Amino acid sequence: MILKLAPLFLIGLTLSTAGFADEPSTVIGIPPLATPDQGGDAAAVAWQASQLIASDLRATSELFPVGPDQKDFYSYPEVTAPTFSRWKSRAKALLTGFVRSRTDGRLTVGCYVYDVEKGRELGRTGFVVPAGEWRRAAHKCSGLAYQSITGAPGMFDTRIAYVAETGSREKRIKRIALMDSDGFNHSYLTAGESIVLTPRISPKGDRVAFVSFAGTTPHVMVASIASGQPRALVQGDAMSFAPRFSPDGRQIAFAMMSGSNSDIYVADANGGPARRLTTAPGIDTSPSFSPDGSQIVFESDRSGTPQLYVMNADGSVQRRITFGGGYYESPVWSPTGELIAFTRRGGGRQIGVIKPGGSEEHVLTSGPSDEGPSWAPSGKALVFQRTDAAGRSGLYRVGTSGGEPQKVTTPQDASDPDWSGVLD
Amino acid sequence: MRRAVLLIVLALFAGSASAQLPGLRKRQPMPQIPIIVGIDALRADFLARSGSDLVYFAGDSAVLSPQARQTLGAQAQWLLQHPEVVVRIEGHADLSDTRDHALAIGARRAEEVRSFLVLMGVPAAQLSTLSWGKERPGPPRTQTILVR
Repeated sequence: MILKLAPLFLIGLTLSTAGFADEPSTVIGIPPLATPDQGGDAAAVAWQASQLIASDLRATSELFPVGPDQKDFYSYPEVTAPTFSRWKSRAKALLTGFVRSRTDGRLTVGCYVYDVEKGRELGRTGFVVPAGEWRRAAHKCSGLAYQSITGAPGMFDTRIAYVAETGSREKRIKRIALMDSDGFNHSYLTAGESIVLTPRISPKGDRVAFVSFAGTTPHVMVASIASGQPRALVQGDAMSFAPRFSPDGRQIAFAMMSGSNSDIYVADANGGPARRLTTAPGIDTSPSFSPDGSQIVFESDRSGTPQLYVMNADGSVQRRITFGGGYYESPVWSPTGELIAFTRRGGGRQIGVIKPGGSEEHVLTSGPSDEGPSWAPSGKALVFQRTDAAGRSGLYRVGTSGGEPQKVTTPQDASDPDWSGVLD
Repeated sequence: MRRAVLLIVLALFAGSASAQLPGLRKRQPMPQIPIIVGIDALRADFLARSGSDLVYFAGDSAVLSPQARQTLGAQAQWLLQHPEVVVRIEGHADLSDTRDHALAIGARRAEEVRSFLVLMGVPAAQLSTLSWGKERPGPPRTQTILVR
């Protein structure tokens, strides 16, 4: 059934990619993955995985996938010995691979990337995955192709955490939701019995830190994604909020309230005493580590209005970096370290970026109710929350070079997005 | 004397028996009513004598206006007369605030109200605070809620 539809897919593909034809991108042949299995699910998964790899690579500007096309089927032994002459006129690179069922019900997925002209292997990777998780293996194959050809890490196996919202505006039900960055494998981490905010995924993608209203006061919780079991980050009755993991995943920076003053603290992600980093009177909140872990950007109203400040990770050398009109809030450091994204308030709310030194500020979105940016692992795009005139919120993506934000599809209203790094 | 006691006992029995009759169901929860009526009546009295359980703020501000101080002065008076009552001061931000900042400004507003009430002589043990951030949409405000 799926195979018969393939020619139609290809027509659509050719039309939709025609606009990129003049860009300098490496053409890579993606023939359908092979399988040694007789019958079973492996053949269907092989075809779908090939389509997903092509779809992943099509979304990049560096690679231009050709295929999958059923006329390019090859036998299982040919996975590691492809006929390069068949591809020389069509592609510079080639990705072959296989899907094989194991006796334990799982699948083995292998991928190989070749330089067609030189007839040389550029890289290979393989995984054993539960049958239901073949998409992750396919994303990894896309990553292999991207890395082998461009030299930069592929960014396909990533997740987005956010808050799924249902119910009336007055009695909102909020749940932590997780999904692959392409919208698949959607699940909920919390059941909605208490309000939850600002989920932040750990660098390895195994934990989520968030704010929970369960109990007497909002406080930071850390939950394992596998078990869903949460525990409080710090003990005590003070309100803690705005958590973010350090790049090595060992620490969490957050804000804690004391009277009418909030300061930035760090604590071991597994628990333990909190160490205070700021002491200025006023609201210090929304800390975010630089990718090397040496610095923290945060929001402070110590000057009278909320502005962005950068300090060393031990709290020393605090300096203000925003001086434009309006308020600057919810900063987040890019994974490449080159930029800091923020929410700007003043004539509505927009998303912008600025260099860590405070130069080259650019507002990327028009608002009027945008907030909470989070970086794509490539550092080239942001996901953020936009609330429309009817009060409904959703997730949007925008590139750092601007352009019209694209809606990210979620099953319900959505807020507080956080985009993970590449998963192990 | 003994007769009177007996009559009362009989009346009580009669009362509990009659409560089982379909037409008189209303009387069944009577033993619990005094508590419910108590907190409700206290809340109504608090509202009536304080003028309001709400205090409003300007956007991005936790500064108490003269009107806010007047309302809180009345709230303090009432709380001093009811030392058995415990209240929770809930602080709110409005939707124009960003998520983290809203939690902080809601807490700051609640704390501003709490310290003012303490300044007016209300024992701190009668007061607790909570920030809702912008999770309960509406104007920037605090609400003083009788807990018990």
